[in-house]
Amino acid sequence: MDPAASLTQPALWPLTAIVFLPALVAAVLSLPIVPRGRDEFIRWTTLLTTAVVFVLSVWMAWPQLFGAAGPAQFRLGEPGMQAVVKLPWIEAFGIEYLLGVDGISLPLVVLTTFLSMLAAAASWPITKHVKAYHVLFLLLETGMLGVFVSLDFFLFYVFWEVMLLPMYFLIGIWGGPRREYAAIKFFLYTLLGSVLMLLAILMLYFTSDLRQLSPEQLLASHVVSPALDAGVQADAVRSIKDARAPVHTFNLLALAQIGQLPDSPFAAARVWGMSLEKWAFLLLLVGFVIKVPVVPVHTWLPDAHVEAPTPISMILAGILLKLGGYGILRICYPVCPGAGLDFAWLVCGLGVVSMVYGAFAALAQKDFKRMVAYSSVSHMGYVMLGLGVWSAVAGQEYRWDAWAQGVNGAMFQMLAHGISSAGMFFMVGVLYDRVHHRNLEEFGGIFNRMPVYSGLAIAVFFAGLGLPGLCGFIGEVLVTLSSWNYSRVLAVASAFTVILTAAYILWAIQRVYLGAEYKGPHGDHLTPITPRELSIAAPLVFLAILFGVAPQILFNYVTPTVNRQVETLADWTKRVHDAPAAAPAVAKVGADSAAR
Amino acid sequence: MDTAAQLPLLLGLAWLAPLASFVAILFFGPRMGPHGRNAAWVATAAIVASLVLSLFAAGAWLGAHPVQVSHHGSGDVAAADTHAGDHAVDHHPVADSVAYSGDWYTLYRGGALRLSIGWYIDALTVLMFVVVTFIATCIHVYASGYMHDELHDVTDHEVHLSGGGHLHRPGRFPRFFQALSLFCFSMLGIVIAGNLAMVFIFWELVGICSWFLIGFYYERKSASTAANKAFIVNRVGDFGMLIGLMALWGALGTLHFADSQAIDGDVARPGLFSLVRPAAGGHAIRVPDGMVKFAAAAEVAKTPPAEVAGKIEDWRSMGLGRWLLLIAGVGIFCGCVGKSAQFPLFVWLPDAMEGPTPVSALVHSATMVAAGVYLVGRFYPVLTPDVLLVIAYVGAITLFIAATIALVATDIKRVLAYSTVSQLGYMMLALGVGGWAAGLFHLVTHAFFKSLLFLCSGSVIHACHTNDMRKMGGLARVMPWTAGTMLVGCLAIIGAGVPFVIGLSGYYSKDAILAQALAFSRANPAHSILFVAVAGGAFLTAFYMFRLWFMTFAGEPRDHHVAEHAHESPAVMVAPLVVLAVLAVVAGWTLPGGFGLPNLLEQARPVGTAEGMTGGFAFGELVFPAEHLSHEGAVHVTATLTAFATAAAGVALAALMYLLRIISPAVVATIFKPAYTFLAGRWYFDELYHAMFVVPALAVANLASGTDRGVIDRIIDGLAWTARQLAGVDAWIDRTLVDGLVNATAAATWNAGIELKKLQTGHLRQYVMFIVVGTVALFVLASLLFRTSLAG
Amino acid sequence: MSGLGMYGSAFPSPVPILAMAGGDGVSVAHYLVVGAILFTAGIVCMAVKRNALGVLMGIELVLNGANVNFVAFASPYLRGQGAVALGIDGQVIALFVILLAAAEAAVALAITLNFYNNHATVDVDRADNLKG
Repeated sequence: MDPAASLTQPALWPLTAIVFLPALVAAVLSLPIVPRGRDEFIRWTTLLTTAVVFVLSVWMAWPQLFGAAGPAQFRLGEPGMQAVVKLPWIEAFGIEYLLGVDGISLPLVVLTTFLSMLAAAASWPITKHVKAYHVLFLLLETGMLGVFVSLDFFLFYVFWEVMLLPMYFLIGIWGGPRREYAAIKFFLYTLLGSVLMLLAILMLYFTSDLRQLSPEQLLASHVVSPALDAGVQADAVRSIKDARAPVHTFNLLALAQIGQLPDSPFAAARVWGMSLEKWAFLLLLVGFVIKVPVVPVHTWLPDAHVEAPTPISMILAGILLKLGGYGILRICYPVCPGAGLDFAWLVCGLGVVSMVYGAFAALAQKDFKRMVAYSSVSHMGYVMLGLGVWSAVAGQEYRWDAWAQGVNGAMFQMLAHGISSAGMFFMVGVLYDRVHHRNLEEFGGIFNRMPVYSGLAIAVFFAGLGLPGLCGFIGEVLVTLSSWNYSRVLAVASAFTVILTAAYILWAIQRVYLGAEYKGPHGDHLTPITPRELSIAAPLVFLAILFGVAPQILFNYVTPTVNRQVETLADWTKRVHDAPAAAPAVAKVGADSAAR
Repeated sequence: MDTAAQLPLLLGLAWLAPLASFVAILFFGPRMGPHGRNAAWVATAAIVASLVLSLFAAGAWLGAHPVQVSHHGSGDVAAADTHAGDHAVDHHPVADSVAYSGDWYTLYRGGALRLSIGWYIDALTVLMFVVVTFIATCIHVYASGYMHDELHDVTDHEVHLSGGGHLHRPGRFPRFFQALSLFCFSMLGIVIAGNLAMVFIFWELVGICSWFLIGFYYERKSASTAANKAFIVNRVGDFGMLIGLMALWGALGTLHFADSQAIDGDVARPGLFSLVRPAAGGHAIRVPDGMVKFAAAAEVAKTPPAEVAGKIEDWRSMGLGRWLLLIAGVGIFCGCVGKSAQFPLFVWLPDAMEGPTPVSALVHSATMVAAGVYLVGRFYPVLTPDVLLVIAYVGAITLFIAATIALVATDIKRVLAYSTVSQLGYMMLALGVGGWAAGLFHLVTHAFFKSLLFLCSGSVIHACHTNDMRKMGGLARVMPWTAGTMLVGCLAIIGAGVPFVIGLSGYYSKDAILAQALAFSRANPAHSILFVAVAGGAFLTAFYMFRLWFMTFAGEPRDHHVAEHAHESPAVMVAPLVVLAVLAVVAGWTLPGGFGLPNLLEQARPVGTAEGMTGGFAFGELVFPAEHLSHEGAVHVTATLTAFATAAAGVALAALMYLLRIISPAVVATIFKPAYTFLAGRWYFDELYHAMFVVPALAVANLASGTDRGVIDRIIDGLAWTARQLAGVDAWIDRTLVDGLVNATAAATWNAGIELKKLQTGHLRQYVMFIVVGTVALFVLASLLFRTSLAG
Repeated sequence: MSGLGMYGSAFPSPVPILAMAGGDGVSVAHYLVVGAILFTAGIVCMAVKRNALGVLMGIELVLNGANVNFVAFASPYLRGQGAVALGIDGQVIALFVILLAAAEAAVALAITLNFYNNHATVDVDRADNLKG
């Protein structure tokens, strides 16, 4: 690929700027020219940086707000990748600096920049090693954004790891009393996932072969940049097609194209009696579900949340958990459709178990933050269920809309949970900053002491409860309704969760906000909400209401991309998976690639 | 503007007016006059605006569809035209149900699936709008007087602080009206909803509004617990409702009641009603194609796509999909069980009395509990005979249990609460035995007299500052207006009237229910217990209502402290009582020319139910007689006489015990002590549920939490521990084996050096000797060696 | 010694060298015998004398014994059967040895003098400071 030609792509700078601006500022802040004592300066710089990044992402997502749409901005309604940046990076292995956004990733990018901004504002109470904290914080933002926009699997993995380290330190240094335990637990859990993911990445890489793709597919997956001249494109395509040895790739779009081929090498190759596709799916799934997290690999979450400082909890619940769901949606299903269909029961089952188990566990908690953490486990179960309800099968005449509804619901649930869980953790943090405890039994009467705060907090908790008119409802109801066509048992279990959710949230509200008097220590510190806290809480509540009342604001972005992916996979089910005539051909190719 | 365009606009505005009031009070409530006094005006103005708009809508409706005497049995059940939006065609009056429907707003659309906010307007909708807004208006006016305590700082005598003394708090006058407005908005949302998803949305909103209102005195533990209980029990019902929604949505892909027209690039689709009761089949219930295919998924997978459509009839005749329709119906009904406080989920309603009395009046008359009955009525075309039988039995059980508990309750509001539950049982039973119009008729009349009764009880509580009827008595002298209006309410609820001539509103609606129940019992002798329940319930109702009235207003004061402070309520509270009392009398009347509620309701009668129906597979063949038949002939006479006799007997017994005091209640209680204790303990449902559901749920919760800490974390920590132990072994190998080898080499070298240095004597002459000897030795060795090598 | 070994490699065995000394006229062997005697005397002197000066004398004897050999090998007139003559190299080496001996003697005498100054003796048996 000619770097000069790639540089002419008009879309080069917004994504790169969004991803790397925080890291750049972090690098500058970490220089000794910034004296250690100037905490206020560092805080404002961080807030400003995150705000600039947020504005940039909004500029991309909502061009109308800034006048006419430029070529680098998002075109609503187009399902494909947009604003693609493509530069060679490590050419020996075909690793590229390949970024892009579509309807799935863009809302998550905006969510990330938005929550990062709020979390930066929520970081004011941090007084220990302020400089180091903000440097790590900005680095974390770069990592998270990078994961959402990477289209190269290797790059994805690099950002995934970049995100991990700052988080470790942010919990381990600025956390509560058991911070080291929590940080190590978080790190080890996630690292285990990363290692398995790396294994899967290498499996897929060495099995992939770009020569199997048609020229159109090569262009569509940005293996050959569509921005190039036609002649250059043709040369590039020919050089791939004429290669003597298999041309491996880390390109996620190309891997998805390869995985959906009738003679997919992933499905054909076998490792220990199981297709490589299934191995890769399972390994990736484990890596991602640890992040989601689902039962039984969820126990890092309560500890990490309880120990992490408030802004980090907001980031953790608001964004990090979404990475798992995003990974499953972006990588697992498109790249390994066969395994996705075979293991849909696993994904859905894990989701429902998480929902019910998380809700029950939340009911039993005495620690406010722990309860909120378990509510996250329960709510993210909806995401898993929605992603997994592969109901586009023969018995249902390959109708894909129920499944698309589940996936759309899951995407909405991710975004809504990003708002509501960040809000819930922030609300807990506001109380903790004042009275320095989180024991649910020792609150009460907060409503009378801090009315504005309590009103906002109850609104946010209701959003978590899935009340109509607030953001939590739409995702949950779409997922629940869609699950019936996949499995009646899981559907009933997921519907059952609404009772438990109501129980634990209302009970917590009763114990904390209602009642006559405050029962815990430091009662005189219960001062009304400060303007800074209000400026963080109010936007969250506003968005919770906005997305609850007008969900189509998000669906306009999400639905085209999700529907196309689901439709493609439903078509794949009919065309490839259920086509009996194609079976011998697949077996033959399998033998070939095994011989290779 | 034609009616089809007018009605959604009028009713839509009527629906949104309370929302506007809610938003206004939410942001500006405390600044509305001193202590937010004007919030009451804002909320009242909004609901009055709703009422006016609803009345306009009713006028528009009646203008387009004049109520006439219906031609039952004329065989005129031609295709019902359920119009959609501006797509209105000419509508036939009478007998055919006319409905307008359309969508305002799409929440989600993917493929063929669409969730939206829309309207479905027929005579029932218009009627409910008028009733709800009217009663809400009365209650708003009443509450602006009742809640005046909240205009200044309040001392809550029911809250004891840990430091002794009672809670002092600022009043929250605006907040009450804020929640009230939201409540009205939510309720009207259910009424106007054009699809089940929208019903569910506002269903939940009604739930949360009731949470706010029941928990209005949230400093009281009992209030916040009652609020939580109400919401959570309702969620149990919603769990069932969700299953029903899933069954419909999954198989049919729509939740719209009526057929939807093509909008937003979406094609026109049939709604639930025409899917289940297709016009082609004479509106008889039929398992929809979607459900058949869903149930036959295994067959569909094996059938070539082109042949699927042809096989549907075969599969349908095999009975595939009928269970799905049953589940859908029962599921939706579960939601109604929760909202309308039916057995087994009625436990929340009596506790909901923790809210201020105007709330009780609103929740228990025209809103919330009415929502369940309304939804059954609205959803009626989709309910199969089996589902209807379930509904009938649930209603019968509810009405009996609640009535028995009301017999012994001593809290004036609780008596009314159980009476509400019991009356809701009546409505459900009526709907369940095929009395669609009878059930909804009773819903409307009950809304008037029950709100009247609650407001009267509020007036009494306002005067006495207690809920306990045992401390009341003789209040008729000091509170004549309240006593009089409450007497009207009691007479209305027992269905008093002169048989076959005239009566209060309850007389007509209750008679209709009894008649239909009797007709059903005669048609299905196996289920004649239903009629017995209705008749028995009528007796119990009469007894406990007059027990209440006699204990409160008649005789001598039991507690002089209470009696001295009692006084008539202010005019702002009495006026709504009088208005409601008038309506409780006249609401059931049918004017000459046929104008009256029953005939208005007939306009909305679900298609295909006018001539009754037969069917059912789960509980045997059921026959639902046509409703108009029960108004004629022997059935009607028997039913009316039964109703009169039972009610009279109930009133007489109450008079004997509480007015004339010929039979001592205490003696009766002693004689039937076990029964009395059982009833006073409210059948121990709360205790049963606590033991059956709450305790196990908490146990499971603790188990889950314990599993996390005790099992999963143990395993994780154990893995970490094992890893550390392995690392220890590794470190030991490094230290002992690898390091040992290196150290041993070093030591050997060292020792060799120590030994060798002994040769270094420092004596020159010795060195010379060494050299000489060594040289000679080397020479000898070398010569030998070279010789050998050379020789070899 | 190794030099001799190298030489010895040209002969069938070291024993005939002595046998050749008994042959006609003066041959290399005779010089070698004289050198050997000088050498041996020097060695014995080094080994038995306790006086440092005596030891130095022994060293001189050893060096000169070697010198005799070098000179003898250098001579073109004393060629044995098939023996390789060193030519002028032998005499140059001898001159080097003398030079070295002079330098060595100077250093050794300085050490001895120093030692005497410190210990008031020149007995080498007393000088065991370099003992290991």
